[in-house]
Amino acid sequence: MDWHDTMIYVRAVHFAACMLTAGVVFFTVFIVPPVWADSDFVKGLPAFRARLLAAAWISLAVSVISGALWLLFTAQSMSGEPLPDVLSQGVIWTVLTRTEFGNAWLLRLVAGGLLAATFAGLFPAQRRPARAIASVAVVLAAVFVGGLAWAGHAIGASGLEGTIHPAADVLHLIAAAAWIGTLPFLVPLFAATEHGAMPMALVRAATLRFSALGIVSVGTLFATGVVNSWYLVGSIAALTETFYGKLLLVKVALFFGMVAIAAVNRLRFTPRLMGNGIAAFRQLRRNAVIETLGGAIVVGVVAVLGTLPPASHAHHHAAYGAVPKGAAFVHIHTEEGMADVTIKPGHTGEAHATIRLWNGDFESLDARKVTVTLTPPTPGGKAATRIAVQDADGAWQVNRLDLTEPGNWTVTVDAALGPDSHLVLDAPIVIDPEQ
Amino acid sequence: MRMLIAVVSLFLLASASAAEAHAFLDHASPLVGSTVPTAPHQVSLTFTQNLEAAFSTVEVTDANGVRVDQGKAQVSGNTMQIGLKALPPGSYKVQWHALSVDTHTTQGAFSFRVGAP
Repeated sequence: MDWHDTMIYVRAVHFAACMLTAGVVFFTVFIVPPVWADSDFVKGLPAFRARLLAAAWISLAVSVISGALWLLFTAQSMSGEPLPDVLSQGVIWTVLTRTEFGNAWLLRLVAGGLLAATFAGLFPAQRRPARAIASVAVVLAAVFVGGLAWAGHAIGASGLEGTIHPAADVLHLIAAAAWIGTLPFLVPLFAATEHGAMPMALVRAATLRFSALGIVSVGTLFATGVVNSWYLVGSIAALTETFYGKLLLVKVALFFGMVAIAAVNRLRFTPRLMGNGIAAFRQLRRNAVIETLGGAIVVGVVAVLGTLPPASHAHHHAAYGAVPKGAAFVHIHTEEGMADVTIKPGHTGEAHATIRLWNGDFESLDARKVTVTLTPPTPGGKAATRIAVQDADGAWQVNRLDLTEPGNWTVTVDAALGPDSHLVLDAPIVIDPEQ
Repeated sequence: MRMLIAVVSLFLLASASAAEAHAFLDHASPLVGSTVPTAPHQVSLTFTQNLEAAFSTVEVTDANGVRVDQGKAQVSGNTMQIGLKALPPGSYKVQWHALSVDTHTTQGAFSFRVGAP
């Protein structure tokens, strides 16, 4: 398992744990009050309350541990240092204090610590939580889960996008926690009702509250999801042709599947809680389990999405993100078009060239034929011209180039775009002596 | 069905705008691959996203691989600048390593030439 895979698991666990941490707080404050209200008469309440408290502590503990691992791996990736050096040379501290990601992690850690301090008051033994404690806990939970936006693609733009995109992402995360983070806690509530440990009328009132919160959450998720997609996907083509876009479609499909189940719950089963309640509770419990599983898959998909370059600039990534180690690279930029030339290895001897062509808007440029000329640094040296072959990815390849001497070579790319149309680009490229 | 139409039209609207999230080189001064008649005093790189100063670097070397920059890059928002020593005519290589604020690293290199075109 490589670093990238490990990071996906760490992200998935952290997202899930944060959703549940905030979820149990939202559930306790917004969903459960009807049950709290009559606490003297509800025999299943102490056990349910103990479960919520245990879930809160476990979720928070898992969030903190997975968050620490995320920080560690990110610090390693940022610094390019091996793990022992990251721990011993103060890299973690530099990340925490001098990067936006680190600042967000510090803020979230503080919010998590303060949230833990509210747990005793939030899950009291004999009464409903005090309004002040409940309000503070909700704000802290929102900061704890919403701060995750600073670990994602929503951050870093300037201008209007620099404000709207993070705001949308924060709301998206809070709404997700209010829906898929609270869902799992309905399951034991319904189960207790089926066993007669909870009064049906009170749980029905709680279910209606969940339903109202669910409608607000789904609306928020949809609106903010559209904003995020606007910035990160950019076009229908990017949605269907890139891996990022396809994964996002899987997420959107899961979302609508879960919304469909929620609609059935709301329109079909919830009204039946008045009559033959037990059967309807059983159906609702089953659907809550299915929706929770759907939510878990969504969290897994999100964990992968965050590690991928967004679809709106997958093409840029090919240009700059992946210059192989030891390769010579030049980006040739003109109004008419651009070329990225990579020569690997970038030293004397036999080498291989890869050429990618773009138009002025950084979209792939189709050429009928591409020739590459390499002129050696020494005046009067013999230039070699070779015909490039296009590979399945659209890049043009030239094998077995003979780089006879180190220094400033000139690379000339001649792309035939049409019968009478050529794009000719040239630039110096530095070839190192063989090590 | 109404929902589906809404989604499709929103995505169509969305296709009108595409934005950046990782830091890629947008433009540079001196221009990537250019020949400048007089030696520049600094190299300035503008990226598609804001950078983290603590982990973004740039190095300028001459054809022999000797560093010709002043050592410490200045990072502000989405630009990174580095001062240069007095450059004699020749070819120079700029190698950059950028950490965008969304925690992704990118890197690249380009060359420019000082002297008569």
